[in-house]
Amino acid sequence: MLISYNWLKKYISDIPSADEIADLVTFKLCEIEDVEKLPSGDTVFDLKILPDRAHDLLSHMGVAREIAGLSGIDFKLPECERPKPNQTDLKIDIQTPNCRRYMGRIIRNITVKPSPEWVVNYLNSIGQRSINNIVDATNIVMFGSGQPIHAFDLKQLSYERIIIKEAKNGDEIKLVGAEKTSVILKETDTVITDGNKNLAIAGVKGGLDSGISDNTKNILIEVANFEPISVRKTANRLGIKTDASKRYENDLSASLCDFAMDEISALISEMCPDASFEEIIDVYPNPQKERIISFDSEYISKMLGLNISNKEIEKILKNYDYKFEQINNEWKVLVPLMRLDITGDYNFVDEIGRAYGYEKIIPLIPKINFQGEDNSNWEKIFISKQKLIEDGYKEVMTYAFKDKGDLEVLASASDKNFLRTNLSDGLKESISFNQKNLPLLGLDEIKAFEIGTIFKKNGEEIHVAFGDKKKITEMTLDEFTLLPENKVFRSSYFIAKEPKIKDLTDIKYVPQVFKPWSVYPFITRDIAVWVPEGTKPQMLIDIYNSFGTELLVVEPKLFDCFTKEKRTSFAYRLVFQSYDRTLTDEEINLIMSEITSKVISKGWEVR
Amino acid sequence: MEKEYLKGSLHPLTLTMNEAVSIFKDLGFSVEVGPEMEDDWHNFGALNFPDDHPARDMQDTFFVKDKEGMVLRTHTSNTQIRYMENLVNSGGKPPFAIVSPGKVFRNESTDSGHEMQFYQIECLMIGEDISVAHMKGVLFEFFKRFFIGDNVEIRLRPSFFPFVEPGFEIDLKKGEKWFELLGAGMVHPNVLENCGIDGKKYQGFAFGVGLDRLMMMKYKIPDVRLVYQGDLRLNQF
Repeated sequence: MLISYNWLKKYISDIPSADEIADLVTFKLCEIEDVEKLPSGDTVFDLKILPDRAHDLLSHMGVAREIAGLSGIDFKLPECERPKPNQTDLKIDIQTPNCRRYMGRIIRNITVKPSPEWVVNYLNSIGQRSINNIVDATNIVMFGSGQPIHAFDLKQLSYERIIIKEAKNGDEIKLVGAEKTSVILKETDTVITDGNKNLAIAGVKGGLDSGISDNTKNILIEVANFEPISVRKTANRLGIKTDASKRYENDLSASLCDFAMDEISALISEMCPDASFEEIIDVYPNPQKERIISFDSEYISKMLGLNISNKEIEKILKNYDYKFEQINNEWKVLVPLMRLDITGDYNFVDEIGRAYGYEKIIPLIPKINFQGEDNSNWEKIFISKQKLIEDGYKEVMTYAFKDKGDLEVLASASDKNFLRTNLSDGLKESISFNQKNLPLLGLDEIKAFEIGTIFKKNGEEIHVAFGDKKKITEMTLDEFTLLPENKVFRSSYFIAKEPKIKDLTDIKYVPQVFKPWSVYPFITRDIAVWVPEGTKPQMLIDIYNSFGTELLVVEPKLFDCFTKEKRTSFAYRLVFQSYDRTLTDEEINLIMSEITSKVISKGWEVR
Repeated sequence: MEKEYLKGSLHPLTLTMNEAVSIFKDLGFSVEVGPEMEDDWHNFGALNFPDDHPARDMQDTFFVKDKEGMVLRTHTSNTQIRYMENLVNSGGKPPFAIVSPGKVFRNESTDSGHEMQFYQIECLMIGEDISVAHMKGVLFEFFKRFFIGDNVEIRLRPSFFPFVEPGFEIDLKKGEKWFELLGAGMVHPNVLENCGIDGKKYQGFAFGVGLDRLMMMKYKIPDVRLVYQGDLRLNQF
C-alpha cells in the first residue's frame, strides 16, 4: 500500500518527520518495502500490509490513526460539509446475505470534468492516474478511508432501484477496463442490478454500460459492504483483483460506510457546486455490534516476559484513544469497529507490546522441565548418513520434482510437475555428472548417496540410495538401518559418539568459505618425474604450484609412485582451469614446458 | 584412533542442519520430523489459517493433483501440530520443546535466493510462562553459537502469521549488516486449542528459519540453485 506523507497530514496536523515515521512504522507497525522522495517534495512509503491489518491499514486514515496512536499525537477525521438533501425515489433491496450494508445516494446535475489540482496530486503521489472528477472522488475516498465506492450513470439504470442478489448461472456482464471485457457469471457471484439488468459484480468491478462517461449528468453513488469470502471466491474465479476486491476480501467494517458517504458527498459538492443531492438510502440489516474485550495486565507481562505497569498500559491505551475501564489489573477495552483483527485478550499483547517497544524486552534463556526423545526417523537418517560417509560415500541432494511420476502437483512454476518415485534416477544422473569432474574433485571414482523422501500413489517413504557408476542400491530407510552391518554400527555409534555439550570457549573458530567453481572446461596433464631416492615429493609440488600459475586449480594429486635403482618416480596429475575463459592446449603446453625446464634444471628427469 | 572421514562427505545443508539441531538440543529441544506431503488440516487449518482467507495467499502452495486437500507442506509446522496431537492423545501435556528440521516446498519462481524446495528448521517451546523474552533468549543464543566468531544482534519487528500472536519478523545483525531472517511469534491460543492443549493455561513461542539461507550465510555460498544439482563440488566442508 502506497502511503503519501502529505496525504497523512490531512488526519494528523502534528505529523512527525518522514524519517521518524519510517522508524516508527518499521519497529511498531509493519514492514516498509520502499521509501521514495518525489520531485514534488512529498515522500511516499510502500507499506507491506498483511492480512490481519488489511481491515484498517489499506488506507491513509488507518495508517494515520496508528502513527498518532503510537506517538501520542492527535488524530482528526476531516470535517465533511453535508449538502442539504432533497427527497428521493431510490429503492434499495438486499436479497443476499453476501451484502451486509448498502448505502445509495442519487446526485443530479453533476459535471464530469478534470479534477482540481490537489486531487490529481494526491492520486499521482500514490501512482494512481487521474481520470475525471467523479471517478477520482471515489478513489480519493477509497485510498483515504479504505472504503471502496462505486458511481453509476443513473441514465443507464432502467429504474431508480438497486437490487443486490445472487447472479443467474450463465449471465454475462461487460466490465470496465480493457483486460477482460466480458465475463460469465455463476450463482455464487453477487451482482448489483436495477431489477432489469446487471450493473456490477458486487465488490469486484463495475459494468461497462453503467459506468461514468463524459456526458453523465446524474449519478448513483454506492457505498456498500460485502461479505469477504464471496468476494474472494468470485475475484479468484474470474481472475480479477481490484483495489476494491482486495479490500473486501480482507473484510471491512460496515461502519466505515457512514464516513465514506459523507466524504464523497462533500467532495462532489466541492467539485460540482451545482449538483443537487438526494437523501441517502441506507439498508443495513444487522449493524456491526460494539465489542468489549478484557485483558489482565499480568497476562500481558507474562506473555512479554517483563513487568509492564498499569500506568504504562493506561498511557498506551490513552494515546490510541481507546475507550476503556480499569479495575485493578483487569482492563475492559471497547474495540474500535475498524479493528476486526482484535478478537481476544491475546491481541492486546501486541497492542501494548509494540507501543511499549519490543526492544526493551531482555532476552532470557528458558528453563523448562522437559526430557524429550528425538524422533526415531531423525536418528535413523542421522546415523545412516554417518555410516555412509564412513564407507566413503559423498552426500548429494537432488530435486524432488521430475518430469514423470505417480503424483503430480498443480500449476507449478516449473516444467517438472511430478514427484520423484525413487532416488536412484537422480543419483544416477548426479554420479554420471560428477564422473566428468573426477580430476577436479581429486577422486578416482564417484561414490555418492542421497537420503530423502519419495512419493508413490499410496503415499511417501523415506529412502536411502547409494552407489557408484556401476551400481546403485536403493531401499527404505528402515530396511537400510536393519541391514546386519548397520545394526552394529547403529548401536556402537551412540556409545562412541554421545553428543557432547560444546564448550564454546574451547573452540577456535576458523571460518570456512565456499570456493566457487568455474563454468569453463578444465584440462588435465599428467607428469611423472624421476628423482633421486629420498627426495621429498613436496619439492615437486612446490614447482608445480609456482609454475602452474593461478590456473592450477586443484592441489597436484599423486597417482603413481615407485622406486627403482635408487630413483623414485612420482607421477602427479595437474588440473588447469580458468574462471574467465576456455583454456587452449597451447597455453597449457607453455606452462608444462616451463615446469619441465624447471624440473630438468634440478637435474631430474621427466619420464 | 578414529576412523578417517576423508573419503565420504556430507552435503553442506546436512552440516548446517546437524549443527543447528545440535545447538537446539543443547538448549533442551528434542527433534521431530514429519511428512512432506500433508493434508490441509496439518498444514493450514490447525495453524489458524481460515478457509478461503487471504492469509493463505501468503504461502505459494503446491496442491497435489487428484489427492483432495493434499499439499506439499509449505513449512515444517505440520510436524509441530502432529507432535502436539500425539502428545495429547497419549495423555501428555506441556511443557515441551521441539525442533523440526525438514524439506518444505513453495510454488514460486526460482532465483539466486529462492528455490521451489528448501529446508527449514522450526522451533516450538510451550510451557506455563514461556514468553517473548525467552524467544529472544533462545534466538540470540542460537545465532551467537551458529555464527560463532561474528558479533550478532537480533531485533524484532511486528509482523503477522496466522499461527502466532503477536507475530514478528526477526532481523539478525551479523558484522555490520542487518539481515531479514525469519518469522516468529507467540503461538496463537487457537493453535494450541486445535491440538487439544489449554490455550489459557499454556503459552510459548514458535519460529522457523530457512536452513538453506543459514548455510549460504555461513559458508558464503552465493546461489541457492547450486544446492540441489547433485554436484559434489559443493561438498567442500
